[in-house]
Amino acid sequence: MVVESYGEVDILDESHIVTVRKTIREAASRIGFGVTDVTRIVTAGSELARNAFHYAGRGVMRWQEVENGQSIGIELVFEDHGPGIANLEQALEPGYSTSGGLGMGLPGTKRLMDEMDIRSRVGEGTTVTVRKWRRK
Amino acid sequence: MANERISVIKVRETLMVTMPADPDDSTITALQEEVLQAMARYEASGLILDISAVETMDSFFARTVVETTRMVELMGGKTVIAGMRPSVAITATQLGFTFGNTKTALDVDYALDLLGDRHPRRPGHGR
Ligand SMILES: Nc1ncnc2c1ncn2[C@@H]1O[C@H](COP(=O)(O)OP(=O)(O)OP(=O)(O)O)[C@@H](O)[C@H]1O
Ligand SMILES: [Mg+2]
Repeated sequence: MVVESYGEVDILDESHIVTVRKTIREAASRIGFGVTDVTRIVTAGSELARNAFHYAGRGVMRWQEVENGQSIGIELVFEDHGPGIANLEQALEPGYSTSGGLGMGLPGTKRLMDEMDIRSRVGEGTTVTVRKWRRK
Repeated sequence: MANERISVIKVRETLMVTMPADPDDSTITALQEEVLQAMARYEASGLILDISAVETMDSFFARTVVETTRMVELMGGKTVIAGMRPSVAITATQLGFTFGNTKTALDVDYALDLLGDRHPRRPGHGR
């Protein structure tokens, strides 16, 4: 059996947020993360999947196993072609929300993961990349 | 999917609601309706929300749980959240979530004790 070290999930309707969570849980567990880190990674992925679905209507999540010297990890990329984020700094402030949410998704995700990178252009879309590492 | 069902049973004055491991958003939203209607239907005075099976609680799920406890409170009921896994507690806290004044218990057993202790069946003011 060939074990895939990357994958992709389309986020087209609400139930795909669950698919994203299941996919990430399986991948992170197989990469060898402990249960608390798996929970952190899955929760972060759930926030980003919901943002893509909620603000852009649809999106895609790609994951891959990554390596860096003594560490291995997981990288998740969430891409959408929605409205984009006008002010990134503001979007990352805890409590800031344009939808009456808690404004917890982005700042929380940043705390749960080791690295987070957001690229967004108004009118073009948003790509959020997060990584979590563990020692080999 | 059978494991996506919310289970609701009543024991004495208490409604016990068990959440599935990984509910989708509509199941989470249904939690509110189902719980509030069951509270009224069974004339329950307390609610135990058993989340021991729950593996992931993101901000949407956590917000719905807290909202539900507030609504139950408005109806005159008390809620205890039971069985939160350590990994879920750590993650929810790091995410930035506070469960406010919501009561929590290690498991359903302790939750029943807590409801018994904190819910004297006589009128009076809280605290
Ligand atoms: N993929 C996206 N496309 C467009 N805007 C986005 C996207 N993701 C986030 N945003 C913007 O950033 C804000 C903050 O996002 P964040 O996830 O932190 O909070 P929220 O979604 O509003 O509430 P919560 O996640 O707590 O329910 C959002 O209100 C929205 O304006
Ligand atoms: Mg969000």
